[in-house]
Amino acid sequence: MVTGIPYSFKDRYFPIVDDPEAFLSCLNSQVPRSFRVNTLKSSASHIKERFDSYSINIRPVQWYKDAFISDEPEVGATFEHLSGEIYVQELVSMLPPLLVKDRIEDKIILDGCAAPGSKTTQLAAMMKNKGLLVANDISYSRIKALKFNQEKAGAANTIITNKDLRHFPKMEFDVIILDAPCSSEGTIRKNFGISSLWSEKHINNLSKLQKQLITKAFDLLAPGGFMVYSTCTFAPEENEAVVDHLLSNTEAKLMDIQLSGLRFSKTIEEWKGTEFSSEVKKARRIWPHHNNTGGFFLAKVTK
Amino acid sequence: MKSQLFEYLESRFGILPPKFKDFEFYGASRGRIFLGPKHIISRPEPVSVGILAARTGNAIKPTTNLLQLFGRHASKNIVNLNKENIMKYAKGESLLLTEQEKNSSSNGYVIVSYSSVPVGCGYLKDDSLDSLLPKAKRLSLKYL
Repeated sequence: MVTGIPYSFKDRYFPIVDDPEAFLSCLNSQVPRSFRVNTLKSSASHIKERFDSYSINIRPVQWYKDAFISDEPEVGATFEHLSGEIYVQELVSMLPPLLVKDRIEDKIILDGCAAPGSKTTQLAAMMKNKGLLVANDISYSRIKALKFNQEKAGAANTIITNKDLRHFPKMEFDVIILDAPCSSEGTIRKNFGISSLWSEKHINNLSKLQKQLITKAFDLLAPGGFMVYSTCTFAPEENEAVVDHLLSNTEAKLMDIQLSGLRFSKTIEEWKGTEFSSEVKKARRIWPHHNNTGGFFLAKVTK
Repeated sequence: MKSQLFEYLESRFGILPPKFKDFEFYGASRGRIFLGPKHIISRPEPVSVGILAARTGNAIKPTTNLLQLFGRHASKNIVNLNKENIMKYAKGESLLLTEQEKNSSSNGYVIVSYSSVPVGCGYLKDDSLDSLLPKAKRLSLKYL
């Protein structure tokens, strides 16, 4: 049960969500347990066979062949968890790597805010452990979890760096994943309660940081490369406004986002009197009640 | 260092050097060897490169993570545990092997597997196996 949702939270989002009652009701329910098959060690068909033998009902995810939803919450007590064949991960968190999955073997890829490593390990698997994956995080303490997960997944093509992305040395990456630090409103279902830090002031501070991060990340992108900017929050200040800032200050272009089987929603066209560039419409929102997931925002950028 | 590890993995487990053709080995302090990408960057200096592959000292000891990734390419010194014993192994306990589980393995480090899936490293002495699963990975298996 989600408790303590401030009135201003409802006040902000009820006007921009299609079905406020369904939205609130969804936030009050648990997010389904999901996991991803680590294709460096196993395959979806093998995992399905094993879970069938345990009589654990797992359901395939229409938009991602390596993902499953499990009726059993204790997937961490399976042999496949011990052997590193599966990785417990919320469904929407699997989306950013999926938007760049084609032809990424042998590329140089940056995961800019990588800890605790869900997307890093997913990228390494998609790269078939080839090329070079740089997993960077500003927090030394969070790198411990990143390192543990990277080792467990067998992501041997990955190196870890500990830099403030804003001060990352000049170089070029073919692909960049920027899953930015955010107010995490979309993970309320998982964390059972909105963060005590939640406030509009906090959102505005994060928005400033995100604008700096996306600008720097774009600077690190090779011509012709792709970058995915994502957050797990609903706040337009951290989503549309950040992408709008990038488009206004650089030569960045957005690309269409499509994934068969997942319901995406349009972006917000204006917020608190500020109208966003029409190009921002190519980004996508994911509301929790549309796919029974967490909340998410995605923009695919090219140079 | 690299040739010593290649020689060990081939002679002990039958894992051939071409299996590592996409990677490079990197030496580190305290006799550690990491398996990482062929090309890395020097700036910013990485805090870690690839995965820990082995520790060297008096003997070479392959890591759990290396064996989970490459153990399927091995042809010898693999113990395939039954349900009761893999549960003990997962908890970090020592156990006694049946002849069938022992699978003609010789004393020393062995690859531990279950249902033909490699899961880590053990130390075999006669019919007794010590679990070398790191503490952070140990768990009570409910589904196997």
